[in-house]
Amino acid sequence: MTITRRTLGLGTAALAGAAALPGALQAQAPLNVGFILIGPVGDFGWSTMHDVGRRRMLEVLGNRVTATQVESVAPPDFDRVANQLARTGSRLIFTTSFSYFQPTMRVAPTLPNVMFENATGTSTLPNLSIYNARFYEGRYVQGVIAARKSRSKTIGYIASFPVPEVIHAINTVMRGAWSVDPQMRIRVVWVSAWFNPAREADAARALIDQGCDVICQHTDSPAPLQLANERGVFGFGQASDMTRFAPRAHLTSSVNNWGDYYAERARAVLEGTWRPGDVWGGLNSGMFRLAPFTNMTPEETAEAERIRDAIAAGTLHPFDGPILRQDGTEVIPAGQRLTDDQIRAQNYFYRGIDVAMP
Amino acid sequence: MTLIEAILLTVITASTPLLIAAIGELIAERAGVLNLGVEGMMIMGAAAGIAAAITTGSSAAGVAAAILAGMALAAIFGLLVLGLATNQVAAGLALAIFGLGLSGVLGAPFVGVPRAGIGKIEVPFLSDIPFLGPLLFRQDPFVYASFALVAGVAWFLGRTRAGLVLRACGENAAAAHALGYKVLRIRFLALLFGGACAGLAGAYLSLVLTPFWTSGMTSGRGWIALAIVVFASWMSWRAVAGAYLFGGVTILQLHAQGAGVPIPPQAMAALPYLVTILALVLIMQARGGGSTAPAGLGTPFVPDR
Repeated sequence: MTITRRTLGLGTAALAGAAALPGALQAQAPLNVGFILIGPVGDFGWSTMHDVGRRRMLEVLGNRVTATQVESVAPPDFDRVANQLARTGSRLIFTTSFSYFQPTMRVAPTLPNVMFENATGTSTLPNLSIYNARFYEGRYVQGVIAARKSRSKTIGYIASFPVPEVIHAINTVMRGAWSVDPQMRIRVVWVSAWFNPAREADAARALIDQGCDVICQHTDSPAPLQLANERGVFGFGQASDMTRFAPRAHLTSSVNNWGDYYAERARAVLEGTWRPGDVWGGLNSGMFRLAPFTNMTPEETAEAERIRDAIAAGTLHPFDGPILRQDGTEVIPAGQRLTDDQIRAQNYFYRGIDVAMP
Repeated sequence: MTLIEAILLTVITASTPLLIAAIGELIAERAGVLNLGVEGMMIMGAAAGIAAAITTGSSAAGVAAAILAGMALAAIFGLLVLGLATNQVAAGLALAIFGLGLSGVLGAPFVGVPRAGIGKIEVPFLSDIPFLGPLLFRQDPFVYASFALVAGVAWFLGRTRAGLVLRACGENAAAAHALGYKVLRIRFLALLFGGACAGLAGAYLSLVLTPFWTSGMTSGRGWIALAIVVFASWMSWRAVAGAYLFGGVTILQLHAQGAGVPIPPQAMAALPYLVTILALVLIMQARGGGSTAPAGLGTPFVPDR
């Protein structure tokens, strides 16, 4: 069942009736899993892929689970929606955006009987797990490809908000690009939205007009990639395989896959084995993959595949030292590697990125 | 093409949907009806437009469907606020929410279906004028339509008898009624025009600017159009200034960021709103204050029988 925030209230009465059923029946009642999405389920990106994950969970667990999904929930509405889901019987709630991390931290202690799972959050509680994919591994591959494809030696990056997830992605793209060509530069435009197709396209126009010829996007709609196609430059898809939107521009997409994780966590609640966890799955975990490389020469494809496989195998690590901040101060020397907590807290650009940190 | 030309081209395309929706709402408000549901009509236009265009393969059919969808929503609104004299603010907000929801249902089968956008049409000879030619005469049909709409509406409101009657309905419905004009019918037609424009603006998003469908793709542009009508103090030429000011600042801040101007992006994102409010304050100051809204705006009219 997919419902919008606004119609959620209508279902309350019906579910209140269900709660009055005799206890014997209730014991066999399926687990209701709640999903709160930041964008519309039809964004063809981040939220769509969480919806795909939800459907995969229903497929795997069959009639042992039901799901209630609320889409396009603005962070100020989060508390109300989460409480409503809990009241109407959800015992496991996936809150699928970093924008929900602080609200989830606030709500979870007030609903101790509900298990929460926040995507891309940074810390846990007794009833709050966090899960994320190491998308930066794909960003490193993007950087390598971008350096091979760019004539102007300038990457354009359409960023959403200056949060660590986006900042370390920008750093990692450049790390990958510099591994091919140390002259590579980047321009960044923050659009202050995860999803605003026309503004994302306008940002892409601005970057292309300023000479960028490979566009990376950290927003959810296919608009920037589609525009890259129209303007004859290259781009990468976000969250789902966006090849068809840009047959001439698409290089690869980072394709999210949350379904197996959702099924596993729902099963854990059913079997009483759920414990708060911190899962950060890389290319080898299946939580995301890279879509088939397109518009690349066989040599370029072979190189990208080699880099991808090396990262998945753990022989190449994007956060190996030395790492220097923009101002030249050293974070870690050669021979060391950033810890997961250090990666998740990155709030600085690397030396060589001549973009001011907002 | 120079960078300045490129920027101006983008400004025009970013401003056009705002302008088209605003000019339609302006007519409705000049007739005395406040329709806050522009966002809902716009996104219905976007959804119906791409749905029809993909189904029939014809962009023209898409545009027609978008206009009809906007008008259909406006008609529902008209039945509520004119037929039943319900509260216009409440009905308008409901219309916006209704449109967002319904468009999601209508567009569901078309999520992720790519389509080539409507291309540009060059005006012979005129498009060869240096600088101005490519900007003004090498555009997509919607841009020309927006120019024509503004000129037409300005002429209609200021120079025709029908325009005068429409304004009378907005200023003093009782007086217009006493003179024998059918106030409700005129207001309904004004609403339909507003709906058609909002639908057309929606089609611009889903058929030209970002030719695909995703739900919620108008991202609040309908609300901006409403604000532009107020900014324009209900004058059609000023709506052009409002739409282009807003669109211009939006695009300039993106370019400033790309060029590395060290201003926080949060402040940049707020800039179009700040500049628009500032301009509004300055206009009001220059005029010495006072409301410029049609006197009967938002007031239901029930003819005595």
